[in-house]
Amino acid sequence: MRVSVVRGGGLAGLVQTTTADSESLAPGDAETLRRKVDEAGFFDLPAEGGPAERGPSAPPDRFAYAVTVEDADRAHTVRRGEPDLPDGVRDLVDWLSSVPGRRESLAPPGEPPPP
Amino acid sequence: MPAPPFCCIAPPDLLAAVAERGDAGDREAALRTLAASTALRARRTAVARLLRELGADHETALGVQSRAGGRRTVYDAGHGGESALPGKKVRGEGDPPVKDAAVNEAYDGAGLTYRFYKDVYGRDSIDGKGMELISSVHYGTDFDNAFWNGSQMVYGDGSGRIFVRGGLTKDVDVIAHELTHGVTQMTAALEYSKQPGALNESFSDVFGSLVKQHRLQQTADEADWLIGAGILGTALHGRALRSMKAPGTANDLDRQAGSMSGYADLPDDNDPKNDNGGVHINSGIPNRAFYLAATAIGGHAWEAAGKIWYVTLTERLEPGSDFRAAADATIAAAGDLFGAAGAERQAVSAAWKDVGVL
Repeated sequence: MRVSVVRGGGLAGLVQTTTADSESLAPGDAETLRRKVDEAGFFDLPAEGGPAERGPSAPPDRFAYAVTVEDADRAHTVRRGEPDLPDGVRDLVDWLSSVPGRRESLAPPGEPPPP
Repeated sequence: MPAPPFCCIAPPDLLAAVAERGDAGDREAALRTLAASTALRARRTAVARLLRELGADHETALGVQSRAGGRRTVYDAGHGGESALPGKKVRGEGDPPVKDAAVNEAYDGAGLTYRFYKDVYGRDSIDGKGMELISSVHYGTDFDNAFWNGSQMVYGDGSGRIFVRGGLTKDVDVIAHELTHGVTQMTAALEYSKQPGALNESFSDVFGSLVKQHRLQQTADEADWLIGAGILGTALHGRALRSMKAPGTANDLDRQAGSMSGYADLPDDNDPKNDNGGVHINSGIPNRAFYLAATAIGGHAWEAAGKIWYVTLTERLEPGSDFRAAADATIAAAGDLFGAAGAERQAVSAAWKDVGVL
């Protein structure tokens, strides 16, 4: 299982990409990753949500997220503004932000993440 | 210490007690707290129910919040997310400092911003009607952001990567930047997308920097024109988040444009990478126009250039205004305020030409 979190916006306006793969995590953390994805009901979540977060009515300086999980033969991406993150996805994102073995990069808006 | 009466969503039994006692002060406090909550969509249903129990509607609650005379209240969100706001009350207006530096910095920053708008432009708080200034600190876990959520200020602790820990309440220009998003929301209501969004960002940087300059009593030549100086974490290398004087030079990932030749035409497509159509990149263009106008006019930037930008934001722009509209409106405002043949109007016009908008 592979998970990536792309977070844009915020006061700084920078794009942070955090990825983790079951194979690069400690066995216990890999299990936790799978459990958190299950608990979030991730593959059943609508791809888009919180229509007020989109377009001209987006709130200033809030983070925006695109969370992608790939597992065996399926992949799903969920895009939400920070205030609209489902609790399970917020929990997954928070956990991922400090798990050993994750990869993190930071880039300006509109640019691909550095290799 | 008694429990804060209306922390978070007040328990219904507490509200029932208030209703029974008919204590006007408590009722006002309840209504103020509910007003602060009404922008939070996730809690709309609960807020509507509680307002009904208090025999009030949304407008009444907002009216109570507005009669607060800019009173400051700081809450501790206890590392919770949106649903934890505002949190536990930790300092009210006139209360002595507490041990938690973030609380005191949020309190002081809100006060400096309030005094700036009141003393310089005669504006009574965010809404111009004395709105209570509510701040919540310790939002989320290692959260690298601060924001205005539509009705209050919210501060994370910083992770040490983008912002140093404790850094998000350290710079008054950052605090005033976020509070100015509230002023914009209640005046021009600039859309947070592409050029109107970049203007929204720029007005926040302009008044963010002016609050700092006013506090230090600096002239335009003396000011550093930086936003977020000295609070960058380990992943960013540089002096600040942004430079209004030299956009694109504040840190190693700063790609801000300083003129239309560097305009980044990113889509507003709900992809977090594209920053609502480049609002934090292209805001460098109007930022530099303000810097150029203010330094050409000279003296304290909040007096002439700031006044022109304030009148433009609060009276002359609309949600879809683009750079060209902002340029035209500031030039017209400069003429109205300081004379059509005045040096101020000339300076503003030259500034927009310099950055390629005109």
